[in-house]
Amino acid sequence: MTLLLQQLLNGLIIGSTYAVVALGFSLVFTVARVINFAHPDIFMVGMFAGLLAGAHISQNFIVVLVAGALGAAAVGYGLERVVLRPLRSRDVLMTLMGTLGVAIMLQNGMAALMSPDPVAYPRVVPNVAFGTGDISISSLQVVNFGLSVVMLAAASFYVRRTRYGRATRAIAERPDVAAAFGVDVNRVSQITVVLASGMAGVAAVSVGLLYGSAWAFVGLLYGLKSFVCMLVAGNRYFDGVMLVALTLGVLEALVTGYFSSSLRDAVAFFVLIVVLYFRPDGLFGSYAV
Amino acid sequence: MTPLLTISDLHVSYKAVPAVAGVSLEICEGEVRVILGANGAGKTTIIKAILGLARPHRGAIRFAGQELLRLPSHRIHQLGISWVPEARQLWGSLTVLDNLRMGAFLENDRAKIAERVDHMFKRFPRLAERQTQVAGSLSGGEQQMLAIARALMSDPKLVLMDEPSLGLAPLVVRDVFRLAKEINGRGVAILMVEQNARQALKVADWAYLLSVGRVVESGRAADIAGKESVQEIFLGGRA
Amino acid sequence: MLSFAFWEPVAIFTLLNVILVTGLYVTALSGQLSLATAAIAGIGAYAAAVLTTNFNWPFVPAVAVAVVSGAIVGAGIATVTVKMRDFILKLTTLAFGEAVSVIAFNIEYIGGANSFTGIPLYTNLKVVLIATIIALYVAWRFDGSRLGLAARAVRDDPLAAAATGVSVRASRTLTFALGSALIGGGGAIQAHYVLTLNPQELGFFNSLTYIIFLLFGGMHVLWGPVLGAIILTAIPELIRFASQYRLILYGLVIVVVVLFRPEGLLTRTPTGAGRRRLARLLRLGRALPTPGAVDERAGADRVDAPR
Repeated sequence: MTLLLQQLLNGLIIGSTYAVVALGFSLVFTVARVINFAHPDIFMVGMFAGLLAGAHISQNFIVVLVAGALGAAAVGYGLERVVLRPLRSRDVLMTLMGTLGVAIMLQNGMAALMSPDPVAYPRVVPNVAFGTGDISISSLQVVNFGLSVVMLAAASFYVRRTRYGRATRAIAERPDVAAAFGVDVNRVSQITVVLASGMAGVAAVSVGLLYGSAWAFVGLLYGLKSFVCMLVAGNRYFDGVMLVALTLGVLEALVTGYFSSSLRDAVAFFVLIVVLYFRPDGLFGSYAV
Repeated sequence: MTPLLTISDLHVSYKAVPAVAGVSLEICEGEVRVILGANGAGKTTIIKAILGLARPHRGAIRFAGQELLRLPSHRIHQLGISWVPEARQLWGSLTVLDNLRMGAFLENDRAKIAERVDHMFKRFPRLAERQTQVAGSLSGGEQQMLAIARALMSDPKLVLMDEPSLGLAPLVVRDVFRLAKEINGRGVAILMVEQNARQALKVADWAYLLSVGRVVESGRAADIAGKESVQEIFLGGRA
Repeated sequence: MLSFAFWEPVAIFTLLNVILVTGLYVTALSGQLSLATAAIAGIGAYAAAVLTTNFNWPFVPAVAVAVVSGAIVGAGIATVTVKMRDFILKLTTLAFGEAVSVIAFNIEYIGGANSFTGIPLYTNLKVVLIATIIALYVAWRFDGSRLGLAARAVRDDPLAAAATGVSVRASRTLTFALGSALIGGGGAIQAHYVLTLNPQELGFFNSLTYIIFLLFGGMHVLWGPVLGAIILTAIPELIRFASQYRLILYGLVIVVVVLFRPEGLLTRTPTGAGRRRLARLLRLGRALPTPGAVDERAGADRVDAPR
């Protein structure tokens, strides 16, 4: 029972980060129509931007967080202008290959710049463990989960309640009609990429704090899984993507707890195969691309 | 009267297959003009070219003194051209209200948007009842009303209506044409594309017959209605 | 200029990649871009390595077994995916690759996470050269044969191909099986050069490398992917930067090609002679619209249809 509760808790916390990355990934996919495999590496850049700010500017938590968001958003902005925009409406595989090229550059660029090995993260939040009995949770986990929830809520609000958020959904469904009703698709797509990147940057800082290190190749862990979350959920409803990501985190934690951690990374693909077999458009439906 | 929209010598091809080959037409303020033609005659292509969604390789499209050919779609809309697309093309996963709000995307004044939404809801009580439902759940007739209401949300000077009667029940079709007349009555010009020649000619001032990408006949709607060539085209004689 | 000891391994790795990408090219002839290349190569590699290492089989029969197991796996995947939409097919092959990787991870008999080691060294430049020539010959002959033309017809337009009497299912299964046979054999030969097998190498990212070779070189002519594999394997090896800078350059080259040469380095108009020759071969030339015309009509329709 304790194990179950502990693993549920761990799973939700991991899943909340998956949700932030996966949501950004699918927002960019539905609006810019590009599978952005560099998205997880933008996350990585945010992690290092936070690290550098913490090391050189200030140990203030907010400063580190903002630096992470800005660093990631800046890379997202450049990526949109130089690579994503020209690739829109090209064959899926070509876009995948192009963004993968960027991913390789970002990973190895950061490895060359910083280090190919994990780098220690500044301790800007004290690590305190809370717990009753055998269940424990650390202050870093609370920060990680809290930030994720705040960002998911903000993204949800943006997409649902704001003018540009509505335009985002309109473009996702019918880009031509949106354009004919005055929506500058390039601009909205740029805003989307920058917001998704900034979000990933914040999540990255909290993950860096949680694990106490930043790693140039950390994106690999998140990239395929966010892709899988989007496919399993389908890209029609963004809430579905968050739900699937949280569920995936929990499932992984349960598999780690009850079976073995080597099976953990297979969970996502097992779920993918099963879901696509029965529902090729994902659990909640997809737009044709 | 100077024309509001002038299309001259428009050529559009898809993969070297001409869809529109040298079409010229115009429409003045406050007029209803209709382009008649069989399936594949190039009607929708003309609409898309005006909206900047299809790129012509020759010709000119001028609207209120401005050349449209090099403008992106969202700038064209800004000039006052709105669209009732073929088969509605609503945002099916957005609510009725959000579809209307998207229709006035470029309007910055929230009060104005609210006022226009109110106006639409008064005119279409069915939409008011269903404002929080997603557009995809509406019936065909309701969807067509929403598509027309959406097009009017930006307070346009010209509305392009692409096959507004397609796939609708006869009673609804009559409503749609009546509505077109009503909109026109408020000074909005309408360029309509139709296969339903009989109904369209009743509301139109002027008509063009399109066959295989060319205007083969044009004239006052009343005159065109009486011509044999209309019958000929719609029986597939030429197309 | 450079010593044999330096360029021999470079040549061997380059040729091994040429074999694998040739297999992928054959698979893709009928329009199915598989993301399971590394997994299929891995299955061949594990099969052959177990036979030579644990059962002392000679090299050639072990490679033959790898070829056959590749073909069986390929035919199996094709059977499952033949009716799937293009995008879903890619995902299924991706998921298959990841699944194989995880399964290999958990089989103790083949080393599990600790890698399979102790594989005898059989592969040298001569072996790889012969294997490459065989693989290219097979692919080249298949490419020009009636079956190859049928496969291209299926890729360009499955409906039109079916209308001219080509079985889409048979064609796709055949290309997947033949391509996977080459990949399985290539994997086995590679295993007897690198001498260890790690389950991680069967996954998506390695498979993607071969897709990159294919798209980089251009997938419409056999020499495209071959050139892609040669350039992208040999050049990074020959540039003697630190490995990170090499990879940055690798990424940059890919981005530049994707942005500026979307058809790949070697291109050929894909509406080509293949389909016309197919029509002539099947003596249906006049009776049916040529696939090219079908394509163009479809293009015109698409514009008028609501999107």
